Amino acid sequence: MALTLWSLYEVVLLCLNAVCILHEERFLAKIGWSSNQNIQGFGEQPSVKSQVLNLVRSIRTVMRSKYVNIVCL
Amino acid sequence: MNFNATSGARYRKSAQKGSRKKRVSDTAAINAPAYPPAYPPSYPPPYNPFASAVPGTVPPNMSAYDDRNAVPPPYASSPDYSHMHANAPPMDQGYSIPGQFLNEPLVANVAMQYGQALVGSGRQLVDRELEKYIPVSRLKYYFAVDTRYVLKKLGLLFFPFVHSDWSVKYEQDGPVQPRYEINAPDLYIPTMAYVTYVLVAGVILGMQDRFTPEILGIQASSALAWTIFEIAVELITLYITNIQTNLKTLDLLAFGGYKYVGIIFALLLSILFHKTGYYAGLIYSSFSLAFFLIRTLKVQVLPDGSSPHHNDPYTHSSGNKRRMYLLLFVAGIQPLLMWWLSFHLISPPTPKS
Repeated sequence: MALTLWSLYEVVLLCLNAVCILHEERFLAKIGWSSNQNIQGFGEQPSVKSQVLNLVRSIRTVMRSKYVNIVCL
Repeated sequence: MNFNATSGARYRKSAQKGSRKKRVSDTAAINAPAYPPAYPPSYPPPYNPFASAVPGTVPPNMSAYDDRNAVPPPYASSPDYSHMHANAPPMDQGYSIPGQFLNEPLVANVAMQYGQALVGSGRQLVDRELEKYIPVSRLKYYFAVDTRYVLKKLGLLFFPFVHSDWSVKYEQDGPVQPRYEINAPDLYIPTMAYVTYVLVAGVILGMQDRFTPEILGIQASSALAWTIFEIAVELITLYITNIQTNLKTLDLLAFGGYKYVGIIFALLLSILFHKTGYYAGLIYSSFSLAFFLIRTLKVQVLPDGSSPHHNDPYTHSSGNKRRMYLLLFVAGIQPLLMWWLSFHLISPPTPKS
């Protein structure tokens, strides 16, 4: 019952940090979840897995850019 | 400081011409100072437009103030004057208190117009900047409700089973205001229900002698955090499953806020009938809220079937399955959150002595 706004902020921050420091080549390629291996036709809807991987990759790109200072406490 | 180069010369020239007529009636009115009599008489008369015409009324030591305190011609330079005055209050054109200068009618008018122009442009700037962060104009749509809409919507939240037409009428580019369309979501009911939920939680805890002032803040921030979390999960789900809908974030906020009405209903029942009343109210209101949400969202999320220009490859069966799962997820998380936000508030049944 003790979910406060502060703990929500902490959760978001920690999850963003986890996504940020995840190394693509070392971990995701082993499982086969790397972003450059997806073969997807243009006329189909993207699958859930490709959307998730795109989301992770874009979050990592944004967080590693020059705006990363905003996240650092 | 002399802002007008010729003003000193004018006074010097007018003081030399002694043959001007002295208009007694005018001088009595003109020379009456606008300030309280405590004002030191050695200063030149304030803002005297006829000073050059009636040299006799100029105070005797006026010549001593020619260069230092010469009053510039009023009409030509009063716009500059108010501008300068706005920038440098300490400068004295013969007046010790700058505020006294602004009492003059002409200067006051100009200063007021300038100030109003400033305020107007400042307000526009603030509105523009605020619009980037909080969509104020979009928010106004959600609060355009009236009493009839609120009563009908509350009735619909508790008894949606007989309502038949769930479609939303559209204007040119957006849905019709909630005032005119019963099926459109609004933010008035969720906001009011959220505040009422916090207050009812305080009352119930007070009846059980568990009240402290901090718990109001704890309840409010906890409920808000859960709402934000729920909307974030729904937005991420919408993105991942790539469902095309017309739902906006504020719509999701509105649909997430309708559960507080059910929570209040269950809590009020728990005051009267304790645990059984609470669970009965909770089950009934969660069932009716789930029905209401599924019916409402089906119109917005599922394809109508009446759009002939929809390309075939984009509407294959997996899209429908995703939409159905999303509807079930949204409708199913409401009872869970309703229970989680209120079960700690119910009182144990009082033992019969």
